[in-house]
Amino acid sequence: MIRVTLALGIVGLLAPELGHALECPSLGVDVDRSRIVVAGGSITEILYDLGADERVVAADRTSNYPAAALELPQIGYVRALSAEGVLSQEPTLLLGEDDTGPPEILDQLRAAGLPIAILAEQHDSQGIIDKVRCIGDLIGMPEAAEAYIAERLQPAAERLVAAQSLDKPSGAILLGIRDGTLIAAGTETSGDGLLMMMSASNALGQMSGWKPVSREAMIVADPSFLVIPQRGLDAAGGVEGLLEHPTLKFTSAAKNGRVFAMDGMAMLGFGPRTLGAAAQLADDIRAQEDASSQ
Amino acid sequence: MSDAMVAEPSGKVAKRGFGQRPPLILALGVALIVSVSLAICIGAIPLSIGGVLGFAETSSIEQTVLYSIRLPRVVLAALAGAGLAAAGAALQALFRNPLADPGLIGVSGGAAVGAIFMIVFGAGFVAEALMPYFIPLAAITGAAAVTGLLYAFARWFGNFEVSTMLLVGIALNAMSTVAIGGFEFLSDDTQLRTLVFWTMGSYGRATWTTVLPAATVIVIAAGTLVSRGRALDVLQLGEVEARHLSINVDLLKRVTVISAAAAVGAAVAVSGIIAFVGLIVPHIVRLILGPSNRWVLPGSLLLGATLSVLADLVARIVIIPAELPVGLVTSALGAPFFLWLIASARSRA
Repeated sequence: MIRVTLALGIVGLLAPELGHALECPSLGVDVDRSRIVVAGGSITEILYDLGADERVVAADRTSNYPAAALELPQIGYVRALSAEGVLSQEPTLLLGEDDTGPPEILDQLRAAGLPIAILAEQHDSQGIIDKVRCIGDLIGMPEAAEAYIAERLQPAAERLVAAQSLDKPSGAILLGIRDGTLIAAGTETSGDGLLMMMSASNALGQMSGWKPVSREAMIVADPSFLVIPQRGLDAAGGVEGLLEHPTLKFTSAAKNGRVFAMDGMAMLGFGPRTLGAAAQLADDIRAQEDASSQ
Repeated sequence: MSDAMVAEPSGKVAKRGFGQRPPLILALGVALIVSVSLAICIGAIPLSIGGVLGFAETSSIEQTVLYSIRLPRVVLAALAGAGLAAAGAALQALFRNPLADPGLIGVSGGAAVGAIFMIVFGAGFVAEALMPYFIPLAAITGAAAVTGLLYAFARWFGNFEVSTMLLVGIALNAMSTVAIGGFEFLSDDTQLRTLVFWTMGSYGRATWTTVLPAATVIVIAAGTLVSRGRALDVLQLGEVEARHLSINVDLLKRVTVISAAAAVGAAVAVSGIIAFVGLIVPHIVRLILGPSNRWVLPGSLLLGATLSVLADLVARIVIIPAELPVGLVTSALGAPFFLWLIASARSRA
């Protein structure tokens, strides 16, 4: 497993553009793209960034950015949509992230004649760029999307590639504390993808999915830094509250007070903001490491 | 003996003349029809009565909403509520315990284990497109498995003692909890969130293909329970007394347990865990109609359907265009009611 990760890391260093393009769903030419309901915060973010905000008529609960999106009618949580609620917004198109559901509701919506495009998800820089490109194609604004990618995303992605090194600090991505237990990212999660993007290794890479982590497993993993959504940190009682948690107390991250908090959707939503978040985190961690090694 | 004198499980004896009951049952029936009509017309997309009955023009969107989204949902809510309430009433009579709830004998837990097993592991051997059918199937299988286990225990102990069965139910529920916890741990991120929403309960995923098989099971099971009302009344005198009054007590218990299990299993299968309907409804019905199970069972059927349809209506419309899980609404009503029952039971003790 370690060898595979290392090999992938080296490939990433040598051939940053290697990531394969994500498949993008296609819509018929006759589909009206004027009233879009969005399920998934990263899609809302992209539509607003591309200047298509006028077309968004409703969005799900994860669409918390930009602030203007919070004013939209809210159709519930991306994985628990209500068919009637969506239809009541008189949409002509539903754009959804790959976890949009439940599947029965999507079937009901299709039966009601609503065109649905579900975007594939890939937790790396290329995945974000592909998502923007795909949305540009879907809403008939490919030029705007390309310009946005070239201007805003490509430079950030290149900076991240340039910052890649073989000396990877090991960290853990936490969701928060649930029933007194820490929930953290294993492999095959958006959290793991974030760590890879910021050239860090996942201290909990031996588990897969978001899992509760035992005290002993955390001590063995010994992450040198922690990243947590702001909301999870607030719920845990701030940095002090979090580091007081017995599971974390004895980790290097706690000893050095290295906790980074940011908006959950910026961190894990894999929209454009995630590129910035990864770059910011990478810089902050290196800066702290340099400071402590002097 | 006159059925008006049978002690209600909570100890009160409600006296109702025979003549008052048919109109009251009729009133419950009217309440059901009114709430179903309301539930069909009100929603994120309002539909007119005329349009629903075919007198007025309806757009194709309204047609789709009515036939593929709202009707199956209201039918499911009504049947699941009826099934859960009738099962609750029957189990309370069987155990002579006012706190007995379909969840008590472990059937809801068994159904949950079946469904969750399918959500987590089904992808390995069931095609994605068939999952909407296999999940309910697995839940019914789980409920049936628990019923079979209860049955086996009953035979093994030789005598189907009520207290023994309650204890077995507790043990089976504990086993279900362990199994669900294990499945949750093995599930990936997407599955886990499905599980969370599924355990909250919702009628929103109703489609005719999932509703119709469950509806058949519920109708047969609930009908069977209602037909046992008189025998369950006699059972309230005690098992020995019931035997003397030529009731086949063992058969009665078996039929009641299996029918209740089937009704609950089918309801849980398509809508997740909808709590407290089986507990609240029979109690309210006893307050209205008195304690006789001949009336409590059909009354619970009607009121269960009504309450469930109304709870779902509330869940659908409070935060349009999003919606609440209906289990949240029934629990919000049911949990305080449950506490009140315990408190009043203690104050009598």
